[in-house]
Amino acid sequence: MRPPPRRDKQERGAFTRRLLVLGAVQAAAFAGLGAHLYGLQVLNGRRYGTLAASNRVASHLLTPVRGSIVDRHGEPLVVGEEAYRAFLIPTLAPDIEQVVRLAARILPGISDSDIERILARARRQRPSEPILLGADLDFEMIGRLGLLAPQLPGIEIERAERRRYVAGATAGHVVGHVGNVEAVALDEDPVRMLPWTRTGRAGLERGQEARLAGRSGRVAHEVDARGRIVGRVARVEPQPGEAVVAAIDTGFQAEVERQLSEHRCAAAVVLDIGSGDVLAMASQPGYDPGSVAHGLQPDAWRRLASAPDDPLLNRATTGAYPPGSTFKMVTALAALEAHVIAPGQAIACRGAYHYGGHLYRCWNRSGHGSVDLVAALRCSCDVFFYEMARRTGIERIAALARRLGLGVTYPLGIDEQSAGVVPTRDWKRGRSGRSWLGGETVLAGIGQGYVLTTPLQLAVMTARIASGRAVLPRLVIDDAAGSAAAAPPPPLAIAPDHLALVRRGMLEAVNAAGGTAARARLDRPGVQLAGKTGTAQVRRGSGRSDDAPWELRDHALFVAYAPAGRPRYAASVVVEHGGSGGSVAAPLARAIIEEALRADPAVRLPVAPTSAADADRPARPKRQQTHPGGSG
Amino acid sequence: MTSEAWRPGSAGWRRPQTGLQKLVRLDVGILTLVAAIAAIGTATLYAGAGGSMTPWAEPHVARLMAGFVVLLAFAFVPPGVWLRVAYPAYAAALVPLLLLPLVGTEAMGARRWLPLGLGLAFQPSEVMKVALVGALAAYYQALPRDRVSVPSGLVVPLLLVALPVLLTLKQPDLGTAVMFTAIGLSLMFLAGVSPLYFAGGGVAAVAALPLLLGSLHGYQKKRLEVYLDPSSDPLGAGYHITQSKIALGSGGLEGKGFMMGTQSRLDFVPEKHTDFVFAMFAEEWGFLGACVLIALYAALVGLLLWRAHRAGTTFGRLLSAGAAVTIFVYVFVNIAMVSGLLPVVGVPLPFMSYGGSAMLSLLVMLGIVMSAHIHTDVDERRSSTR
Repeated sequence: MRPPPRRDKQERGAFTRRLLVLGAVQAAAFAGLGAHLYGLQVLNGRRYGTLAASNRVASHLLTPVRGSIVDRHGEPLVVGEEAYRAFLIPTLAPDIEQVVRLAARILPGISDSDIERILARARRQRPSEPILLGADLDFEMIGRLGLLAPQLPGIEIERAERRRYVAGATAGHVVGHVGNVEAVALDEDPVRMLPWTRTGRAGLERGQEARLAGRSGRVAHEVDARGRIVGRVARVEPQPGEAVVAAIDTGFQAEVERQLSEHRCAAAVVLDIGSGDVLAMASQPGYDPGSVAHGLQPDAWRRLASAPDDPLLNRATTGAYPPGSTFKMVTALAALEAHVIAPGQAIACRGAYHYGGHLYRCWNRSGHGSVDLVAALRCSCDVFFYEMARRTGIERIAALARRLGLGVTYPLGIDEQSAGVVPTRDWKRGRSGRSWLGGETVLAGIGQGYVLTTPLQLAVMTARIASGRAVLPRLVIDDAAGSAAAAPPPPLAIAPDHLALVRRGMLEAVNAAGGTAARARLDRPGVQLAGKTGTAQVRRGSGRSDDAPWELRDHALFVAYAPAGRPRYAASVVVEHGGSGGSVAAPLARAIIEEALRADPAVRLPVAPTSAADADRPARPKRQQTHPGGSG
Repeated sequence: MTSEAWRPGSAGWRRPQTGLQKLVRLDVGILTLVAAIAAIGTATLYAGAGGSMTPWAEPHVARLMAGFVVLLAFAFVPPGVWLRVAYPAYAAALVPLLLLPLVGTEAMGARRWLPLGLGLAFQPSEVMKVALVGALAAYYQALPRDRVSVPSGLVVPLLLVALPVLLTLKQPDLGTAVMFTAIGLSLMFLAGVSPLYFAGGGVAAVAALPLLLGSLHGYQKKRLEVYLDPSSDPLGAGYHITQSKIALGSGGLEGKGFMMGTQSRLDFVPEKHTDFVFAMFAEEWGFLGACVLIALYAALVGLLLWRAHRAGTTFGRLLSAGAAVTIFVYVFVNIAMVSGLLPVVGVPLPFMSYGGSAMLSLLVMLGIVMSAHIHTDVDERRSSTR
């Protein structure tokens, strides 16, 4: 009728055992959950903590204002100008493709492949993250975009800044230009990774990048899962770039460029001998940095980069030319220092020089007769310097050339610089493995053979000979007060009476009868110009005649300083394949020095560098009244 | 007394009591644990709303109160009544499951809700959980001990489990189907079905797995794929798991503090007030808090198992154990899902998650368990629980 109690008990026992099994399984499952949570929360807690922080904090870089570049008087060369950037915020656009295609019709430089790229990005990333459609946009484009605004939901405009090259092509090579950042190193400012960031690609824009660029700021917002900003976590203001003061005088620079523009390829440098300031540095042909800086006109860039005479090249600092006879001052000073000739000692020139079985001609085939050092410089006698070079030896010539600033680069503030070549025995062995030949010394004595110099180096050499001091060229003025009070550069380790002889030779070359540079003579009473012509053979036997093909004509060079009595300006002029230095380069140099003496750019005090914040609203100082000039 | 132990409605249970007597005999241990968990849930919902009783904490409390009243009502009814209505209730619970494909409202790709009018809706599968436990308990109460493990004794319980499982799979609601299976099989195991059947069934299930995977719905497959590799789609389907894990993990050992959980506060945690409430809780209270909560659930499950052990009838035992298993499955599946251990299936965390259906059905189930507890005298004498 009913189960006996024993059986009931048995059944209870069985139930309890199964209950225990179930309970054990459940306890094990809970313990497993606990272990999993331990791994998640305790062992990996830090990692997830970081993920949580990056989840909720949206950081944006604040782009700093790039510093402007002004000339020595504060005349702006390049300034920041208002521009715009256009973004697409995918989450706000109902039909992303339609919006992008419509915007692409207005904005420049969006190709079909760009559209594909933009659409792919919009699908991949957080929908609230903006995608750049165009940077450096001008007001007109924004206006057109604004007209279509109702059809362009999700397009946002942001105010930005772009470079405006106020001076145009004037001093283009000095100022340089900006371009897209190509590679970013890990330790660099992360703002360089932003697509609209421009970096200096040439000239001061590139050389002074560290000062011009400024430092990025950062704003961190707390955002929710939909990317809406909930609050601000932190804000670090960007540090604007500094303004850079270039030593050049824009007006003077423009005049020098105008003088050069009559020639196909040429370069000129004018230094203030006292401070080393580069008052003008011109390279023909030039270019307008503004035409390539914005990356909007790739065609303009390609045209410039492939143009026949390479307008992007700064010939004044990177053009390495054989100095020709302008090198004769170096040979003369080296010979004097080596005591291989006495100051008044004469050498006979019969129009040619025999050495090692070869014949080296003087430019004057009939010979100069008996010439001493001053006369040899005046009439640019080749035979005299062949003999001086032979007597002195290449090593001593090279050592003196270096003391005059040849064969080296200077701390100029721009990257485009060539060191040229001041050959030595070691240099040749290291380069070709061959040993030095005596005839090469003879050729080097008149600035031919291996010797290569840049126009800037020639100007520095001239300034050093004129002043007897180790003048260093200065292209960037760090602070005006310091430069005014700066101690003059240290004297050269060259005997003053040797220098006096060479200066006399240069003075006579221009001003004495029989001088090769008579066409450089100044008309000003009481002010004399000293200088030296150079006619560099492009290759052995190249003609000086005008009927030779352009590429084979000689380079015409001239170096000069003035006033001869109290030297203030040193200049070098190189006209590529221009022909004879005396007939082509000398008048050019004369005109340039004339202009320097007239405008006297060095006399007017350079401005003090200002911060970019000031440069934002460029207070254009009125050009100071021209100083009467000490040597007028 | 023992003479009529197998007759429901008589000696196994105490003679009629007054309402007050019943109130005094309420299971205070279980109620305390439920209240503690519900309080934690309320606090978490309060914090999740940025320190506000609206929109979640207040309705949560109101539902708890209403649910408590329902629990009392169910507890005061003698268990004999529940035994008698077990099968009709099961049949009644099956009807809305059958109706669901026709009139259910669709949410996130599944028809799970049945509109009741007045803007109310309920999930028929929640009702079914109670009905399933009741029906199985009633079946084994009536089944002679020696027939439990014979094949003919397996037909009815397997049918009882299979019907709701198939119907919920059709909704499709994988999570609930798995729960029905787990609850049903656990109760059959406790009732004494031979372990050999389970071994055989396990082998069959593994063999049938490819078939099952083939019949999964697109979104279910996607969820499974993402479960296997959440980082494959961090902004899409993997978003839930990834963000939930970040919230959990960033809580660390001690948590970010009450109302300091950035992940959940800034809405990175999806469904933070319902299925993913544990992520929000564990972000603010850390591993220690999570341990305390899991311990509370374990205590509740353990206490229900203890009550099953002490119960005087098979019906009472299986009811109590059924409630224990149901709560365990809810908690385990939910936390495992939130922490990335299981794929995302819509299973709430009992008494913590915002929402009425699951909480009400669990409170009803506890009410019926207490009905047995209140009206039992056999074991009360042997033990001295109070």
